[in-house]
Amino acid sequence: MNLYTYVLRRLLYVVPVLLGVCLVVFVLFNLVAPDPAFVLLGKHATPLQIAQLHHELGLDKPFWAQYLDIVKSAFTLEFGYSWSSKQQIWEMIKNGVLPSLSLTIPIFLLSNTIAIIIALTTAYYRGKLIDRFMLIFTIATMSIPSLAIILFGQWAFAYKLGLFEIAGYERSIPEFIPYVLLPICIYVFINFGPDTRYYRTMILDEAYQDYVRTARSKGLSEVIVMFKHVLKNAMIPIITNTVIQIPNLFLGLLLAESFFSIPGLGSMTINAINNSDFPVIKAITILSSISFIVFGVISDVLYTVVDPRMRLK
Amino acid sequence: MSAQVQSKSLLQSALLKLFRDKVSLSAIIIVSIYFSIGLLTFSGLLNIEWGKEVGPSYSTPSMDYLFGTDIFGRSVLLKTIKAIETAVLIGLSTSLIAIVIGTTLGLIAGYFGGIVDELIVWFYTTFSSIPWIMLLVSVAFILGKGTSSVFIALGVTSWTGLCRLVRAEVMKHKDREYVQAASSVGASHSRKMISHILPNIFHVLIINFTQTFDSAIKAEVILSYLGLGVQGRPSWGTMIDDAKLELARGVWWQLGAATLAMFIIVLAFNILGDALRDALDPKLKGK
Amino acid sequence: MEEKILEVKDLVVQFNTERGSIKAVNGVNFDVYKGKSIGIVGESGSGKSVSALAIMGLIPNPPGQVIGGDIVYRGDSLLKYSSLQMRKIRGNKIAMIFQEPMTSLNPVYTIGNQIEEVVALHRPELNSKERTNRAIEMLKLVGIPSPEKRVDEYPHQLSGGMRQRVMIAIALACEPDILIADEPTTALDVTIQAQILELMKRLQKEMGMGIILITHDLGVVAETCDHVSVMYCGQIVESADVQTLFKSPKHPYTRGLLGSIPSFDSTASTKKERLQTIEGMVPSLFNLPKGCNFQDRCQHATEACKGVKGDPVLKDLGQQHFVACFNPVQA
Repeated sequence: MNLYTYVLRRLLYVVPVLLGVCLVVFVLFNLVAPDPAFVLLGKHATPLQIAQLHHELGLDKPFWAQYLDIVKSAFTLEFGYSWSSKQQIWEMIKNGVLPSLSLTIPIFLLSNTIAIIIALTTAYYRGKLIDRFMLIFTIATMSIPSLAIILFGQWAFAYKLGLFEIAGYERSIPEFIPYVLLPICIYVFINFGPDTRYYRTMILDEAYQDYVRTARSKGLSEVIVMFKHVLKNAMIPIITNTVIQIPNLFLGLLLAESFFSIPGLGSMTINAINNSDFPVIKAITILSSISFIVFGVISDVLYTVVDPRMRLK
Repeated sequence: MSAQVQSKSLLQSALLKLFRDKVSLSAIIIVSIYFSIGLLTFSGLLNIEWGKEVGPSYSTPSMDYLFGTDIFGRSVLLKTIKAIETAVLIGLSTSLIAIVIGTTLGLIAGYFGGIVDELIVWFYTTFSSIPWIMLLVSVAFILGKGTSSVFIALGVTSWTGLCRLVRAEVMKHKDREYVQAASSVGASHSRKMISHILPNIFHVLIINFTQTFDSAIKAEVILSYLGLGVQGRPSWGTMIDDAKLELARGVWWQLGAATLAMFIIVLAFNILGDALRDALDPKLKGK
Repeated sequence: MEEKILEVKDLVVQFNTERGSIKAVNGVNFDVYKGKSIGIVGESGSGKSVSALAIMGLIPNPPGQVIGGDIVYRGDSLLKYSSLQMRKIRGNKIAMIFQEPMTSLNPVYTIGNQIEEVVALHRPELNSKERTNRAIEMLKLVGIPSPEKRVDEYPHQLSGGMRQRVMIAIALACEPDILIADEPTTALDVTIQAQILELMKRLQKEMGMGIILITHDLGVVAETCDHVSVMYCGQIVESADVQTLFKSPKHPYTRGLLGSIPSFDSTASTKKERLQTIEGMVPSLFNLPKGCNFQDRCQHATEACKGVKGDPVLKDLGQQHFVACFNPVQA
């Protein structure tokens, strides 16, 4: 099997998975969910009103037709209108993407860079004081619930000390910067533990391989052994792991956006939950799944490209 | 003369190693304490009257109220202790659901292969393609407010990782000699899976248990924030969520108590999970 | 008289573990001469690999460290070298190949790159083209066909035997004085084994380096070595030139090792002999007996071996044949 066949198979597999996702959405929102009529029309709705609403929403169609509606929306990216704001969902998404990205991209870049550097350092100084300290520090910070960190961070640094803006957002560059600084710092702190530990594990997995011993026996310095030999091998799982994180960038950070009033996709989701806005929740679920699937394929393909062992003729 | 060779199973030697090390021993003790408290309050043997009004609203921590009181004048300390039961219940039930579903499906997929395997792989790929938080939120939202929806939502979203792992391990073990030996004496499929292969992949389950417990407790906090958390009983999630309104008024003790209580048990589980992984994973050379 | 290039004197290497400290190498002596091969034989855990790693300065620290003795290379004590000085020796003057050819090469770099790496490190005067040529030359030297093509291939595209040849190519690229081969053929098929040993003998004739061959296989030693040292529990129990050792082994352990080699010689005798084994098991280094380490498995053990006379020391029986035994076998 060569590379092209592999990529093709991988891409084709996207279809059944996407259909499966639509099935999950269908089961959740069209089968299991309580009748939205009462939510939208209130407790005193008449049967006629309910029937009308059902027809409007397409809920009187047979089940398979409802499922197909969902599939259609997934493939055409036509999600209809929000129940609460009456806006076109796609418009809402377009509005929400940039603010989310202004938060998630810096966090992504900073977290991963810092984590890789620290992971390399602790792997190099394995067993020494700095490694042990980092181990304790990462495991401790990982054990604090993120909500508590956000709450505390916002209260301490924005409210009490006034170092940052408490909440709010400006859509222009560079006015948005003061609003995202604090959430960025908070999340880099939250991600530090798990990211560093993961990269450290990947690097240490390689550091004990036989070829590292061979490299040392050639007379290479430890620095070169670490950077040229260990890192290049560790980069394979590291890259594929970071690529998987990219779809999450678009989803935004639900908690952060809510706390800091940043009008991104995360806030959109939370508002939809509070308003029982089915179409919006469905849309975001489907959209984020699609990007997950797509980047999953990219990650798999990348893996075969980066690892010469996978590069079949 | 022959040297006495004491062969311990991987599990036994791992557990022994855990008990010898001071740090992991303390973690085990902490987990046991939490679990005991949870069990005692659950069974009713220990009655925590967390709902009683013990003092004025929002009293600061003092000798009378060790962790102060909340908006209704209830003791924060008692709420925190009762919340242990909630956390233990959530953690245990989520892990149980996840382990049962994940292991069963993983065993079947890895063992039988073929179209059954394809189906199950498709199934968990579908579930893991939906971002965890969206799935969790959707399920909890659909099932409505309430404690049972929290359990179901968490359980339903936590099994995919384990399923994948179990499947991979089973596939490795399926062709090993000991399984073939069992076949040769006429063992049935289920017997092979349960009595032979399962004990050999037990270590995967244990490590996964600590991780699932851990993420379940943390997820509860997020659900509480979204208003989808447990009702009718205190939980650390609801306490932290309440804190968002309280902090501005200078009331920090509910946040502090809940965070501290949660921090300790999560830390203990993290340490245990780490120690277990080091002890049980034969591939891991050096920490 | 050949030139003595390496002297290992009373080497002691200690490992500190959770269960206590053990001496993996406990007072080992041997010499390496230019153009000659010395075989170090022993079971797993006898300390033979550790001795080799000590020479290369590759003992992982923690948990191990050299706590006694000396390693003298051309008059200089390697133990006194700084890490920078040791790095100039490794791969350059003293090189090593390892047991697992399947995993000893870096999977993400080409064969050529990995050979050129060691050349670039120790021969900075060569330019890029010269380095590549050297790599191709080395591949030709170790008998790899179509070296110009192989240079751009990755390790996974080669068989185990080929990979070991590449390891030899890397080790010899800078024409070292000493090649240490730690169980180089153990992981390979018997036929490939023979090829690799042939290759090493041929290269030694051409390049004149001294070889330290570490193995548990006495057959390999008989084929390729000039001198043999037998190790047990971190100590050398017998050492002699290869003919003497095989003709008249004096230490009961050596005799046991030799007796356990199946013989296909049809002229030897018509009666079917059982394969001799050495009873018992190697004692744990945490729990060595007082006196001779081999006493519990030895058929010639006496009271003297139990520790009243201390540990057995190597005694010269004449003609460079050393044995550490209170009751050496007279044959």
